[in-house]
Amino acid sequence: MIKIFVLIKQVPDTNNLQINRISGTIIREGIENVINQDDFHALEFGLSLREKYCGEVTALTMGPPQAESALRECLAMGVDKAIHVCDPIFAYSDTLQTTIVLKEVFDKIKDYDVIITGTKTSDSSTGQVPYQLSEALDIPLLTDIFSIEINNNLVECHRNFGHESQNVEVELPVLLRVGRHYDEPRHISLMGIKNAFEAEIEITDYACLNSPECIDGSTKSPTRVTKTEKPEEMIRKKEFIKGTTAEKVQKLIKIMQGHGIEKIWVGEPHS
Amino acid sequence: MNFELNDKQKLVRSSVRKFAEDILAPVAPIIDRDAEFSRDTAKELSKINAWGIQLPEKYGGADLDSISYAVTIEEISRICASTGLTVTVHNSVGIYPIYKWGNEEQKERFLPDLASGKKITGFTWTEPNAGSDAGGIECLAVEDGNDYILNGSKIFVTNGGIASILVVGTRYKKENGEEGMTALLVEKDMEGYEIGKKEDKMGMRGNPTTSLYFNNLRVPKENVLGKISDGFKIAMQTLDVGRIGIAAQALGIAQAAYEHAVEYSKGRIQFRKPISNFQGVSFKLAEMATNIDAARLLVYRAAYMKDNRERYSKESAMCKYYASKIARKATQDALQIHGGYGYIKDLPIERYYRDVKVTEIYEGTSEIMKLIIAQQILRGNI
Repeated sequence: MIKIFVLIKQVPDTNNLQINRISGTIIREGIENVINQDDFHALEFGLSLREKYCGEVTALTMGPPQAESALRECLAMGVDKAIHVCDPIFAYSDTLQTTIVLKEVFDKIKDYDVIITGTKTSDSSTGQVPYQLSEALDIPLLTDIFSIEINNNLVECHRNFGHESQNVEVELPVLLRVGRHYDEPRHISLMGIKNAFEAEIEITDYACLNSPECIDGSTKSPTRVTKTEKPEEMIRKKEFIKGTTAEKVQKLIKIMQGHGIEKIWVGEPHS
Repeated sequence: MNFELNDKQKLVRSSVRKFAEDILAPVAPIIDRDAEFSRDTAKELSKINAWGIQLPEKYGGADLDSISYAVTIEEISRICASTGLTVTVHNSVGIYPIYKWGNEEQKERFLPDLASGKKITGFTWTEPNAGSDAGGIECLAVEDGNDYILNGSKIFVTNGGIASILVVGTRYKKENGEEGMTALLVEKDMEGYEIGKKEDKMGMRGNPTTSLYFNNLRVPKENVLGKISDGFKIAMQTLDVGRIGIAAQALGIAQAAYEHAVEYSKGRIQFRKPISNFQGVSFKLAEMATNIDAARLLVYRAAYMKDNRERYSKESAMCKYYASKIARKATQDALQIHGGYGYIKDLPIERYYRDVKVTEIYEGTSEIMKLIIAQQILRGNI
């Protein structure tokens, strides 16, 4: 039986996202929290692997107490178990601190075969955790997967490799990063919702871990967000250049030089 | 007092909304145009357990509370009111009386197939000569040994064309001379069961509404629901439940019309401004938003009272009367805001306008709702 773990994150619903104009941060009050969209695809991938190979899927999230509702949604979608990594000391963790905590969590779990993540989260978009976690756990990471076959301990993966594709074989355990182009996430059934709210969610807090001193989200996260800016909106302009072809070319060269373009090659005009 | 849905109810809303937008939105205009019920849609609804929303798990249901039920109907109807109708009638006036008054043998015989959507059910009381005057039904079931022999006809039977089993309200006459009204579980494959013409309706066209004829139809006594004389009580209490569903349906249609009106009015430029900048339009939106909110609170309150086993006939009638009324107004105003675009079939607004009207008619007209409310008030339930 394959033990599958899907890492998910609860993020603010970006459909109604508002930014505090002064601090540049996301206004989280009054915003509905949802499961990160990529993670639905990760869940679907995990559930379809379970159906194909007979396994067990656990949804795992690290987040504040309200992230429980995201785990309930995963349970409603059909995962077998849910683990909530939650402790005030984990608050404000950046991706590195998150990875350190997750490594401790998986060291404690021990028995895992496949870990699946989305590509990135919609609230910070760093996409760093899958890479960092595969390093921390010292397990292979497979990205841009077309298809996957698991035979005993061996994972055969057909994956995108730029303009080519690649066949890779690795041994379990493995970390898989999936994106939005995978199968559409299944719909949640009402029975699934009923079951989800009857299920137990396992809480993993700091005390459950091996009490590593390196963990403290707020003081030991090396990342500092110094400023958040809204990119300036680019306004496209148009200008019609009049005159003979030669005149138009000269005018165009002048305009381009005005924008700092130094080397301009002028070809022969078509006869 | 808490005005928010709980986490479970919220998940019901977001999940059913996603399902409806993905699966029902593409078929809604087609089943309206063709006046055809979609079996494929029925199968999709089975996958999310929409055919057994409140039944206990032992019968294959999702065992949800009445607010979740209302939310489910609201979200389905927001996208496809015809499907909302099929689902709400099946769950409320079809399944509810079997679960509430059926004996264990009847429950085990019927409920699992109904909860899975393998079979569809409904409820029929209305006849050519008995609508609002529910006591005036003429169908007659005459006792004959271990059976009742049923004769008569029913009209405007929601799910009539697709139901495998129906709760049928009828008069009865026993061999000892006793008479009254009863509710029988009538199955489609019983001899003497004839489906009449499918009505060509203004709205809710994706739901097959038909007449039914019973010609010397032999109903075994095992198919009598509750006590033989319980018919009228079963009908009245069943309709109390049904009205929450119809009100939720009206609410879903109103919500859809309102959302379209807001979007359209922000994007439609006239006199160099979005028309939402004009008070003639924005005040309509403000009225819609307020009315929908008020209706939603009434619907959820009635559902809450039902789950708390309080008397809720008055509140159920109130929510149906009010939700259907404001929903009709909302679709009318949304259509007006859309102008000519609202009148053509490229947009769903005209469908909402046609669909919504019947919510003021079926499962008790608005006039009957006011009658029920007034009777309750005057009996001291102020």
